[in-house]
Amino acid sequence: MSQVPASPAPADDDMHDEPVPMMQQLIDNPFLLLFLGVAMPTVLYIVWGVMEIVGIPIAK
Amino acid sequence: MSAIQPPAERLWWKQPLDRVEGTWIVIAFVWCMVMFFMMPYWHVYGKQNLSNEAYRTTPEAYLAKAQAMVDKHTVRTVTEQNIPVVHPVPGSDVYLVARLWQFWPVLELEEGQTYRLHIMSTDWLHGFSLQPENINIQIHPGYEHVVTLTPTKEGTYSIICNEYCGINHHTMASKLYVVKPKKG
Repeated sequence: MSQVPASPAPADDDMHDEPVPMMQQLIDNPFLLLFLGVAMPTVLYIVWGVMEIVGIPIAK
Repeated sequence: MSAIQPPAERLWWKQPLDRVEGTWIVIAFVWCMVMFFMMPYWHVYGKQNLSNEAYRTTPEAYLAKAQAMVDKHTVRTVTEQNIPVVHPVPGSDVYLVARLWQFWPVLELEEGQTYRLHIMSTDWLHGFSLQPENINIQIHPGYEHVVTLTPTKEGTYSIICNEYCGINHHTMASKLYVVKPKKG
């Protein structure tokens, strides 16, 4: 009779298809991080700033 | 624990956080929060509440408005450059021109009266620094900045340019006279 382990040892996670946590997926993806690192400041600073400047009314 | 090696566990996210790393994160986060909340705090309690009223305009249009004010309300001239001193009507729009390398005209305002001060440059970036009050505004060409101003104390104040604008930037200074309101 084979023995069934009561609970899987940590190393067994690699064998089981346990889903990778969202945060780990994010941090393990260097190109996503690169994109966010460029896109976030560009939108929040440059795009928002230009929108504000373009919206300045003309003097009467 | 080395950061050069890949994580030992496939699901490294679930590894318990090292105490030192946790402490480091907490300290860095607390400092980030201090710096973040310092911004609105100083905006309110440091009175960094500059108006955001501004208009796009041209040097010609703005100079015309400033000239109209000077033509109507000049009381005298100062310095060898004959810069007019203007005493505008309380509550009115007041125009200050910044250009290489002077502020024009000199303003004489009444204590306790409110004015809409318009500031613009006709060439490039200048600074407006009212001393000793230490009110600082950047003056942009093409954008007329409007500040609602109420002088609270009689006296003579200095306006200096605190944005480097060329070889004579250090000579770009002016005065602001605050006088008691005229009666009658």
